[in-house]
Amino acid sequence: MTELILPHSPNCDDYVCETASLPLISRPDIYAAGVNVALNRWPRIECEPIQSVLQVGTVPSWKPGWTRVRTVGMNFPEAIRFLTVEKKPEEELETVRPKALKPVEESGAAEGEKPAKKTRVKPPGDALSLEDRLFYILQPPLETLLAGQEMIMPFEPFPHQYEGIGWLFSQKSALLADEMGLGKTMQTITAVRLLLRSGQVRRVLFICPKPLIPNWQREFRTWAEELPITTIEGDTARRRMIWQMPGVPVLMTNYELMARDLDQMDESERPSFDLVVLDEAQRIKNRDSKTAEVARSIKRKRSWALTGTPIENRPEEMASLFEYMEVVPPAATPDLRQLSNLASVYVLRRTKDLVMKDMPPRLDRDAILELTPAQKYAYTVAEKEGVIHLNEMGEQLTVQHVFELVLRLKQITNFDPLTGESAKLDRLVADMEEVAQSGGKAILFSQWTKVLDWLAERLKPFNPLIYHGGVPSKKREPILAKFKEDPNSHIILMSYGTGAVGLNLQFAGYVFLFDRWWNPAVEDQAINRAHRIGCKSTVIVTRFISKDTIEEKIDAVLREKRRIFEAVLGSGDTTDARLSMNAAEIFGLFDLKARTGKGTKKVQPVVEPTSDAA
Amino acid sequence: MAGSKDRADQLRLGFLTAIETRERAFTGGLLVTDRCGRPLEFQCTTPVKPNRTQELLYGPTLVPFILGELLGRTLVEKISVKPTLLFTAREEMLALRPLIPVPLLLLSESGSQAESARPVVKIGTQEFRLHPEFAGDQQAVSDIAGMISAGADMREPLERVTEALRETMDSVSASKPRVA
Repeated sequence: MTELILPHSPNCDDYVCETASLPLISRPDIYAAGVNVALNRWPRIECEPIQSVLQVGTVPSWKPGWTRVRTVGMNFPEAIRFLTVEKKPEEELETVRPKALKPVEESGAAEGEKPAKKTRVKPPGDALSLEDRLFYILQPPLETLLAGQEMIMPFEPFPHQYEGIGWLFSQKSALLADEMGLGKTMQTITAVRLLLRSGQVRRVLFICPKPLIPNWQREFRTWAEELPITTIEGDTARRRMIWQMPGVPVLMTNYELMARDLDQMDESERPSFDLVVLDEAQRIKNRDSKTAEVARSIKRKRSWALTGTPIENRPEEMASLFEYMEVVPPAATPDLRQLSNLASVYVLRRTKDLVMKDMPPRLDRDAILELTPAQKYAYTVAEKEGVIHLNEMGEQLTVQHVFELVLRLKQITNFDPLTGESAKLDRLVADMEEVAQSGGKAILFSQWTKVLDWLAERLKPFNPLIYHGGVPSKKREPILAKFKEDPNSHIILMSYGTGAVGLNLQFAGYVFLFDRWWNPAVEDQAINRAHRIGCKSTVIVTRFISKDTIEEKIDAVLREKRRIFEAVLGSGDTTDARLSMNAAEIFGLFDLKARTGKGTKKVQPVVEPTSDAA
Repeated sequence: MAGSKDRADQLRLGFLTAIETRERAFTGGLLVTDRCGRPLEFQCTTPVKPNRTQELLYGPTLVPFILGELLGRTLVEKISVKPTLLFTAREEMLALRPLIPVPLLLLSESGSQAESARPVVKIGTQEFRLHPEFAGDQQAVSDIAGMISAGADMREPLERVTEALRETMDSVSASKPRVA
């Protein structure tokens, strides 16, 4: 018997229920009357067809099927060695226990240490295809690459150098325009090393001024000792053979040989390169020059240029570099705004002020010197006679005549040709005694090799060395080595043309500019032979300027020009790009007026004929 | 000595990860590098987007299935430079291990659950967990671990893969024609 409990009230709050009992099992005798007979008959069953449902539309069906996954991918050049090997390294690894290699990066591994800095290679701005962009995105940080066991770095690069290496690595067209002394050479060599290692380039051509080839060779030995460097030298036949020699990863030559050799080759004979690097690329600033034309004609995939002074005189010089880099059409004349836009993409320039805050400062001092009586007399006579002569020339007067007078007067400010008196020499000797007593070393620059020879005679107590265009190339390296290693050799006398670029003389703490060059950018290059990465103490720069002479006037003109090209290379860069003096300014030195049509003509100083003059 | 160096040079490290796009689709990427982290090959998949039914029926196994069986397996099969070891930072990828013959290492995040229950190995500066059902992996991985620099950051290549996948996805979405 089951009892059903029926709620009495629907109100759930009131659970007072009544119960009633109802039997669920019926007894047979309840229905005994009347119908029992029917129960003894078989029921009659009738069949009739009905329409069956053929389609079930509402039942869902599902299979665990997924769309086929497709893949896209890319191989890197280094994968080739794995794709060609058919052995199964997994099996080898199971059977042979390899010996653990010595870890190369112990530093930074300790727990809790600050994570090491990572410099990621960014895709270049002009990389349009996804594959190109992925190529760079998937490269490891430079620190990892360089710390690899086959990529031993002799010194830890500075952060700005890592940045420069990464930038060069990803650029097809690049102008590395770091201020002198920030390590352009090292950054370039390391970037080339990475490109060669990653298989992106196989054949690289370096073109640099002839005196700098030993410097590059030395730097390659330091930063990429595993890379064989082949220098193009010898007679014509031998050079031709080297140009066309296959399997040479790095070729090196100078501008003169490059222009001569390639010009003589037929188009079909000319070698092609994956990368061409122009060092001191201001050498092609004149786009119509033979050197620039031949440099642009070299078949190449990547074009890099290096210079600390991308603009020496005019913004158009940048246009010539951009044409070499193939980022402007031939003979294009971009305006300042366009140049600035191009520079933001293709030029990387850092100044020491910005990146080397901990580098010892450079102390500039101008030594304003009174001429000696003999010098003063000679100077006054020469100036008066000269100006009178120029005025007498009338319409025949050219800027070259004025220039000759300037040179004559400048020479007198160095020393009196009759008596040999020299206020500058007196001051120099006094300073040098101090330098020698402290065991220091000094570099002296002059425009004239004759002045250097004259000085060498008079500075014998300090064991001077001479380094100018008249010194044969083979003797130059030993001279530099002696200057570095000989403690008794306190001064090296250099010409601006030969000594101003590319040399690393950071052990010298003193620089003397015995006479002034026409362009402060060149003077800065000279000063930065000493004031560069690696220098341990303040570099003292002394500019000799003779009072009340043409030197003061030239100095004033050049100082006025320092801010002209900031617009191209950005603000904060006030040390690199300055104008040489133009014709009007040369005339202005003597209150003469430039002749019509020649007032804006650029005047080049007369450079002494040397074997490698810039 | 030369032999061990050759074997070390033959070492190929696979870095496997996946990202989820804004449209809730998954795309996977596998980068194979040499032991110094230099890239050898990269493969990525087309995006896989589960529909609502799949989401309901797979339940919590959906993501491990997509990441491991669909994306991971496809990538390992398709890559031509076969990795010696596979690294991942996504736990769901561990579902791939029974499907491939290569040890799979999961970057061990500090504080993650059940860490002590699984074998842990140290490679470079990170610790990794292994699939609990593949006991032999620990010995195999320990043998190879010595070939990798103790200072190596094994998480960094995974970041590269993630960045490459994002770049690929951005590129694909940028190239799609826009409906007016």
